[in-house]
Amino acid sequence: MRVELKKFGTTLISRQSGKEALAAFQSTITDIAPREIIEIDFDGVITFSPSWGDEFLTALLNKFGDRLVLLPTDNPSVRITIKLLEEINKKSFGLKLQQQRE
Amino acid sequence: MLTIGQAASYLGVSLNTLRRWDESGKLTAVRKDGGTHRYYREKDLEVFASDLVKLARDWTNEGFELLAMFYCANSAVFQARLIKMQDALVKSSLSLNLLSLIVAVAGEIGNNSFDHNLGKWPDIPGVFFGYDIIKRQVVLADRGLGILSTLGRVRPSLKTHVDALRVAFTEIVSGRAPEERGNGLKFVRRVIAENPVSLFFRSGDAELRLKKDSGELIITRSPIDTRGCFAVIEY
Repeated sequence: MRVELKKFGTTLISRQSGKEALAAFQSTITDIAPREIIEIDFDGVITFSPSWGDEFLTALLNKFGDRLVLLPTDNPSVRITIKLLEEINKKSFGLKLQQQRE
Repeated sequence: MLTIGQAASYLGVSLNTLRRWDESGKLTAVRKDGGTHRYYREKDLEVFASDLVKLARDWTNEGFELLAMFYCANSAVFQARLIKMQDALVKSSLSLNLLSLIVAVAGEIGNNSFDHNLGKWPDIPGVFFGYDIIKRQVVLADRGLGILSTLGRVRPSLKTHVDALRVAFTEIVSGRAPEERGNGLKFVRRVIAENPVSLFFRSGDAELRLKKDSGELIITRSPIDTRGCFAVIEY
């Protein structure tokens, strides 16, 4: 399954809107098959921040672990946020973004 | 020339506020031919409203009434205005990469004010949020509890504002209880370390400077004791 974050908005910055996005996504989670990969697509997102990312992406990382994969992006607000979230949570996100970053 | 009613509407303050500001010299009115009615030149109002640093400082330190155009009483108003700023930056010549970082940095600082003060504002809730696309400047301020008080809940050993600012900008604060911390100020520091963006940040009697393209953190005691937080972002 591919999750297009732009459908939640192009400015993803507050904890509150991150929580709202996660709550809205809960209904979709029930449709995900047990081994299905969840790809996060940042295309179309202009601004991303740790507050929103912590509420949405960290929650999905904790739930799906290695099945959560971040698609490559050049957006610097996404890249700096992801790196910080990994350090805060002491967990790495799925491979695609990491391969590009290295 | 604008009448006092038109000027009040332009700035988003009351007539009484304008009369008070005229008497104190903060914003002087013009009187026609020795008359008693107050008038204002539009240019004077533009200049008055363009000094974002002074307006924000007067509000946080001295409690002056805030111009409505800069006041975000709640997080929803702040989010809406932040998106408006993003739209304005998209139309400017700024690169998409840099503008995404400016909006994210302003968003983290502004959201910090709401996240840590909701239900605890000492007097006036909300934030000052102003930006000037030409001067390439964003100013944010609040009359909240300040970094030492809010960070002190998860780090009770913190005693000074200088120490609190250092921890807020450098250390990942893990414990989620008793409140969630987004570690947003660490994000701000990282953005500035790698990009042409600078920050001045003051809380309590401590002030911090982050220079563009530099990870160096300069924290000193401030001669001014700031209520809440005060931040100037330049790019």
